Amino acid sequence: MSERSTTEWDASGQLEVLTFDIGDERLAIEAVSIREILDLLPETRVPGAAALVASVVNFRGKIIPIADLRVAFGMPIQEATADNRIVVIETELDGEATQIGLRTDKVHEVTILERARSSEPPVLGMRWRRQYVRELVRLAEDVVVIPDLANIFGAVPGAASTLQH
Amino acid sequence: MSGVGEGQDPVAAFRVEAADLLDGTEQALLDLTHDLGSRELIDTVFRGMHTLKGSGAMFGFDALAAFTHHCETAFDRVRKGLAPATQELVAVTLSAMDHMRALVEVQGQASGAGLAAAGIAAAGEAILAQLHAAIGDTAAPPPATTRDAATGNSDGGDAGEAQGGWRIAFRLPADAMANGTNPLILLDELRDLGEAEVVAQTGAIPPLDVLEAQECHLGWEVTLRGPATREAIEDVFIFVMDDMDLRLEPLTAAAPLAPPLPAAAQTPAETPAQTPADRPAQTPAQTLAETGPARAARATGESVRVPAERLDVLMDRVGELVIVQSRLAQLASGGINGPAGELALRSISEEVERLASELRDTTMVLRMVPIATLFGRFRRLVHDLARETGKVIELVTDGESTEIDKTVSERLADPIVHLIRNSCDHGLEPPEERVAAGKPAGGRLRLAAEQAGGEVLITIADDGRGIDRERVRAKAEANGLIQPGQVLADGELLQLIFQPGFSTAAQVTNLSGRGVGMDVVKRTIEALRGTIDVTSQPGRGSVMTLRIPLTLAIIEGLLVRVGEGKYVIPLAAVEECIELSLEDDIRSRGRSMIQLREQLVPFLRLRELFDTGTRPDAFQKIVVIATGGERVGLVVDQIIGSHQTVIKSMSCLHRGIPSFSGATILGDGGVALILDVVQLVALGQQQEERLRAAG
Amino acid sequence: MSTILTVDDSSSIRMAIRIALSGAGHTVQEAGDGVQGLASAGNAKFDLIITDLNMPNMNGLEMIREIRKLPVQAGTPIIFLTTESDEGLKQQARAAGATGWLVKPFEPENLLRVVRKVLGQ
Repeated sequence: MSERSTTEWDASGQLEVLTFDIGDERLAIEAVSIREILDLLPETRVPGAAALVASVVNFRGKIIPIADLRVAFGMPIQEATADNRIVVIETELDGEATQIGLRTDKVHEVTILERARSSEPPVLGMRWRRQYVRELVRLAEDVVVIPDLANIFGAVPGAASTLQH
Repeated sequence: MSGVGEGQDPVAAFRVEAADLLDGTEQALLDLTHDLGSRELIDTVFRGMHTLKGSGAMFGFDALAAFTHHCETAFDRVRKGLAPATQELVAVTLSAMDHMRALVEVQGQASGAGLAAAGIAAAGEAILAQLHAAIGDTAAPPPATTRDAATGNSDGGDAGEAQGGWRIAFRLPADAMANGTNPLILLDELRDLGEAEVVAQTGAIPPLDVLEAQECHLGWEVTLRGPATREAIEDVFIFVMDDMDLRLEPLTAAAPLAPPLPAAAQTPAETPAQTPADRPAQTPAQTLAETGPARAARATGESVRVPAERLDVLMDRVGELVIVQSRLAQLASGGINGPAGELALRSISEEVERLASELRDTTMVLRMVPIATLFGRFRRLVHDLARETGKVIELVTDGESTEIDKTVSERLADPIVHLIRNSCDHGLEPPEERVAAGKPAGGRLRLAAEQAGGEVLITIADDGRGIDRERVRAKAEANGLIQPGQVLADGELLQLIFQPGFSTAAQVTNLSGRGVGMDVVKRTIEALRGTIDVTSQPGRGSVMTLRIPLTLAIIEGLLVRVGEGKYVIPLAAVEECIELSLEDDIRSRGRSMIQLREQLVPFLRLRELFDTGTRPDAFQKIVVIATGGERVGLVVDQIIGSHQTVIKSMSCLHRGIPSFSGATILGDGGVALILDVVQLVALGQQQEERLRAAG
Repeated sequence: MSTILTVDDSSSIRMAIRIALSGAGHTVQEAGDGVQGLASAGNAKFDLIITDLNMPNMNGLEMIREIRKLPVQAGTPIIFLTTESDEGLKQQARAAGATGWLVKPFEPENLLRVVRKVLGQ
């Protein structure tokens, strides 16, 4: 699990991403895995679920988990604001295409990241677990974080494929 | 029947069809073992093989077609009375069915498995050798040679070429037009071959009073100029060639007109086309003699067959829905004014409610298949088990027309196979033991299905020796499942066989020692939201009863509120709802047992279990749920009412949470979680045990 | 184009025929055995009927004989499908009233060629 996934830069070393804020960090996720950006929906708490994915919502008739990446990154949980959005992504978990709603504080835009401006996460000096970060990329004066969703969600207890089949 | 999910791919359709044909033919073969003289069964087997071969060849299943050809030939001989139907023939044909399944399976997959090919071919050869021996046929019959009439191969016909052209005289059979042959089309075809002069010959037309309007009495003479070959011309007449008069003469510079035709019909030069059976390259198969549900599940794939009339009903409902929708749109655009508008709205709402419920029922019915398809597979299994064990086993089935959800049916196959194996292996005694016990030598296995409310009851009953209680107890004590000497009700004792790791087999046999225990069977049944019960009488036999909900997709639920969350309890598990007054609640604190008539029932405070952080309502309710004889009360804040629950699965991030089996969407778009009854009852029992242990 | 009835107990063969014929612009109706085929033939005029011979309930030969008694299908070409190398069966089918035949397995082009041949298109 600590093996980090690789970023699929295109031939010209670019990557189209959606950027958004969680706390005072700016994150980026490949545009290809974004399904939809929603206003906050009424959430249903799932007792016994991992704190990272403590609730579910009805997304077009499907029950999808809502994830709060603050939990994974050890950031304090905050009250919702008018800027909050749910970014619905689709990623493969356990060999199964899974839709997950990411709770974000503010969604920015779809933009292009340059591989030339990217770097591996440093071994030291990060407040986040290193295997949860795939890459750091400079964008204008900011540094955006490409999270490693496979590692983050792979760590959820009960997500193991051995449970029910 | 219409195929749903078969789409536009004939090869996929063929796979489904081949599975059905093989199953149907296998049933006929099994019936044939009881009635070797049945012409009808022999015809059915022959026709199955015939279709399999013909359709298989159509869709590139060449190895299958070639192999099936031999079986078809064998049964053709039986059909024609040239060979007798024998038990040996049926037995070898049954193993041929498995080989055919394997051939269907591997066709179209990467055929690089060159090493496996030899084994497959050898296995096929071995079966064919047995087949020929069984039919009393020393030499393999020659492969079928077919002639593709319509392709009209015109190569190699240089002998029949006339440089200058042909003089063609022909007269069609009298019934040609009645039988759909249009002489004008034939003449057009000849014109396509070159420059043609056509002269009709009317000499043979009978007098009007005996003329049949449909009959063809004209003859024609055609002078065709150009390089057309004899074969090309004969090809024009290919369908009527055998019955017609046709005379062809090469045109020479000064050829006299051909004399009027004699009645001699000519036979066209035959060009045997190579059939698939002749082709040397055959696709290898890898696994043979594979029986049981594995292959059946694969073969059925994801498609379901739906009788057309059921689709018609669905279409009717959808049509009504469209009408209601337009009424609603009209009302919405005009505005809902006054009582009349409200009345109209209410009427639309009622209409939609009715349609939704009918659509739900109709759609559910689309997924239903008769359980006969499932039971049918077990006949072969029992047949094979009887041979393996040397026991005489009669399989009796009942209620085969009972319908069950297609997915449920597929998932039931493995557990039932296991139960049947158990019965045949451990339950039923060898003939001598049965006779010694004063029973008939042949054992009896009864497989029955019936619908009871929203459930299907499936029973697997044998008249064998019954479950040995002492052995069960000894085993359970040895495994630490119970305390030595612990007092258990008979039912409780028998339930022990469903505990993980439990196996009563004194010796691991070929049949049951496959590493699957009754606990897996139970888990599989419970995953279908079903239950399994066992009763057994020493010396008289055992009965396994499976209760399975009719469909997986929709259940009747009881909607409850716990704190701020809403939850659905499957109504089938609910026994009763009782009030828990605040005083009772306080009094019972720390005990969590409630006196329910004669019995103490453990209960779970869902507010605490779910950690809602809310205060209890003044009037809480206890919903008593039961599964497999065990009861537990669930304390909820409010019972909202019954709820038609469409079950949605949760993502893999939540699937591991034991308290919930799924989720559903409520009328307001919100989500309610569905409680997992089996898990909660188990939790209640554990809590009770802890409390007991604590004192 | 033409309206064609295909009668076969093999749904995959019917599907293959339907795809080939509708691809050529024909309208195709399907029947799953001789009884259904006869019922369809009694209900509507077809330009062509393509039928299997070996079918449950009513075999192809019998169906062809019955269809030939239907005034509505007078002169309708009937093509039968056969896997037999058996000339005898062809003879029987001809005698029953079939117009022509097509040997299985066939390619869609073969089918279309036979259809063009009997329909003259």
